[in-house]
Amino acid sequence: MRYLNILKGKLGRDPDFVELHAFAVMWSEHCGYSHTAGYIRRLPKQGHHGNAGVVDLDGDFGLVFKVESHNHPSAVEPYNGAATGVGGIIRDVLAMGARPSAILDSLHMNSVIGGIIEGIADYGNSIGVPTVGGELRLSELYQHNPLVNVMAVGVAPHGNILPSKASKPGQVMVVFGGATGRDGIHGASFASEDLTGDKASKLSIQVGDPFAEKMLIEAFLRMNEEGLIDGAQDLGAGGVLSATVELVARGGLGAVVHLERLPLRESNMKPWEILISESQERMAVVTTKDRAERIIEIAKDHLLTAAVVAEVKADPTYRVFYGDKKIMEVPVQLLANAPEEPVSDYVPKDMPDFRKVDFKVVDAHTVFEQYDYMVGTDTVIPPGLGPAVMRVKGDGGYSLLTHSRADLAVQDSYWGTFIAVLESVRKTLSVGAKPLAVTNCVNYGDPDADPTDLAAMMKALEDACRFANIPVASGNASLYNTYGGRAIPPTLVIGMVGRADPKKIVRPKPSNVYAIGWPDFDVERERRLWEVIEYLSAKGAFVLAASSLVNVTHVKALRRLGLKLNVDVPRTEPAHQMVIVFADSVKTDVPVEKIGVLKWM
Amino acid sequence: MSKYRFAIDVQFKSSVRDPRGETIERVLRTEKGLPIYHLRLGKSIHLEVEAENEVEATRIVHQACEDLLVNPVVEEYEVRTL
Amino acid sequence: MKACIVVYPGSNCDRDVYHALKYVGVDVNYVGLDDSLDGCDLVVLPGGFSYGDYLRPGAVAAREKISHEVRRAADRGKLILGICNGFQILIEMGLLPGALLRNSSGRFVSKWVRLIVEDVDTPFTRNFKSREVIKLPVAHGYGRYFKTDSAIRVVFKYMDDVNGSDDMIAAVTTEDGRILGMMPHPERAYEKLLGGEDGLKLFTSVVEYLRRNAS
Repeated sequence: MRYLNILKGKLGRDPDFVELHAFAVMWSEHCGYSHTAGYIRRLPKQGHHGNAGVVDLDGDFGLVFKVESHNHPSAVEPYNGAATGVGGIIRDVLAMGARPSAILDSLHMNSVIGGIIEGIADYGNSIGVPTVGGELRLSELYQHNPLVNVMAVGVAPHGNILPSKASKPGQVMVVFGGATGRDGIHGASFASEDLTGDKASKLSIQVGDPFAEKMLIEAFLRMNEEGLIDGAQDLGAGGVLSATVELVARGGLGAVVHLERLPLRESNMKPWEILISESQERMAVVTTKDRAERIIEIAKDHLLTAAVVAEVKADPTYRVFYGDKKIMEVPVQLLANAPEEPVSDYVPKDMPDFRKVDFKVVDAHTVFEQYDYMVGTDTVIPPGLGPAVMRVKGDGGYSLLTHSRADLAVQDSYWGTFIAVLESVRKTLSVGAKPLAVTNCVNYGDPDADPTDLAAMMKALEDACRFANIPVASGNASLYNTYGGRAIPPTLVIGMVGRADPKKIVRPKPSNVYAIGWPDFDVERERRLWEVIEYLSAKGAFVLAASSLVNVTHVKALRRLGLKLNVDVPRTEPAHQMVIVFADSVKTDVPVEKIGVLKWM
Repeated sequence: MSKYRFAIDVQFKSSVRDPRGETIERVLRTEKGLPIYHLRLGKSIHLEVEAENEVEATRIVHQACEDLLVNPVVEEYEVRTL
Repeated sequence: MKACIVVYPGSNCDRDVYHALKYVGVDVNYVGLDDSLDGCDLVVLPGGFSYGDYLRPGAVAAREKISHEVRRAADRGKLILGICNGFQILIEMGLLPGALLRNSSGRFVSKWVRLIVEDVDTPFTRNFKSREVIKLPVAHGYGRYFKTDSAIRVVFKYMDDVNGSDDMIAAVTTEDGRILGMMPHPERAYEKLLGGEDGLKLFTSVVEYLRRNAS
């Protein structure tokens, strides 16, 4: 373990066997954010919570959302890696008290990996949360390290939103869901390693159980409806250990954990294995003793296991017992606060002349059509034409998208990331929505070998969000995406949510087609472009704001609506400020060119 | 009471098309060049039965197949002891 | 007039059907596995993945206690509508003939499809025109209809090959037309906002049929 000496110093002694396992998990990059914590502090933040971000949608409802990676597991075992990635991010949103209402993915890979698509599809389809689109980027640069980032969004009345912490001594923590097995032991530390060699064995891989997840969703929402939950945290990387530590650490409290109470699926599990097992489809809730019984009853009604596994204590110490035997006792804050790597200050350079880096272009419908994007009957805009737009039954709605520009970031990580944020704003405005907040997933190589591009990406995220005046509400980092020492391009995936009015959604219909804006990029003009997009969209024009202007997926999506596109797509620089507008006529003072027509087939 | 282990092989009846099996067969034959024919993709269920004797255990397995495990409309099955 | 939606563990279109029925003004409630269906004029088995579809889609759900209630409702001539997983359950229960197998593509398919209305003499389809072409969403991995009975009443057929179904069959009904099983999702097409409203006619057909027979 990299931080062994720090740990020795803090403990004042050598850690024992169980402590070594526990700290290896809690101080892994996956749980501890050692390399990114310093940068995250600098971001313009709002709505940051333990499990996911929350922003206000309309005064009554909160929008809960987050994007998370499952890159390493998906590289080793595509189907289960991707499936459990969906499960994990869904539980993050659920733990905030919201019914998950939409999933988006962001996939970077060499060619479409069937297992990854099927894993996402089978899991999302089964739990009844629509996968409403996302981005599919194909390049050999990701041959050994496919990136599987998944964003989930949920909607809940503000009163239902739950804290991600314990609040007073005497509370108890109930773990419920699927039974605990040896799945994914040390998955968290595995997720922070190079993928060559023995480490990439399949030992760490968890298997998803979407049926249990669906039952977990319904059981949890029932518990929340009955007012039984004071705080919640999903069990992901680091299992019981990570969830219970984080719950009490955020409340400045301590805990006593009784491992023998956890319902097990396998025999002869050692206490430390129970403590850090990453068995999927489990959740920890904070409640009071008198309400715990009802929680267990609801879980059992939903065919799940449940047990009171820990008590919340005032003394900020984390004590773990197996029966009468104490197997660990350490300060909570020591476990919860991984050592931080120093941050470096990145000073942006002038934007370079980007050359075109070719990502393979395919019709993403081959992927979208394996996703049930309509379940829930809230999907207003189907995948393929830009951001998804969802309605909230009753009133209102929201837009959501994932976006990245690794083709630029591989040349200049600062400007590639900066432009990805700006383009996300354009896309959000293009469906008549108002950007509300950003979630992000940093996908990176080895920060110990080269921290510069990591600093550049985080600085770009900070600068671009300040420029756009949009807060960052949540985020995730996946580091050590290397193979044989070779890193992936610095790939920061933006997830953006916006406030939308589904009733005013513009759908494509026969019209003239215009290219509006500039074929190159000048940051000084960006706000002007945003105003134009906002104005035209409000006037009833359909706007396509894509990095590629028009691609095969757009053409096929229009064809599915019975429309045929006949255009001469103008040439642009890889970084440009041009959008495609479908309208009978256009009046604006930015450059306009009529490029063709859209007709019924 | 003793425990008896069984394997149940469930296959589609020959009258039912199996497009997944056909696809796999095609890949093996045309892309991998292997002389493989009539590939059928079924499923195998392993289970343990607690019963007084093997005859009783076998009866229970067949009952499970007929009650739930096999769809007699399109599937047929074979039971093996393990 | 009352409609009941049976919620199996793993159902996930139960709320969608609820909203669609509410939209056409039906008094509707959810029914669990131990509940009774007495007093229900319309029983809906919704889509989803009951018990994860882990053995065969619908197989475990078809053997739940509530199935006796569904059968009893069928015997009393109540209307029964099975959508997607609900269709699979009706078939596993033996209330409708045939089998639903893995799509011939081997993949889940989710998209809008064109259908021909083949039979307008059922309580579910009386508001459609004969041979009318409509658009509804499908979303299934096991929708390939395997025909075991040549004298079956086909209600909807796909216009294009969606999943390899025999005779492009998308929906079948019983001889008396009172039990309908369909793979497409009418509850996803009840409002223009969702991309189409051809599903609405199915629900208004049922509502008008039940109102007429009640008075």
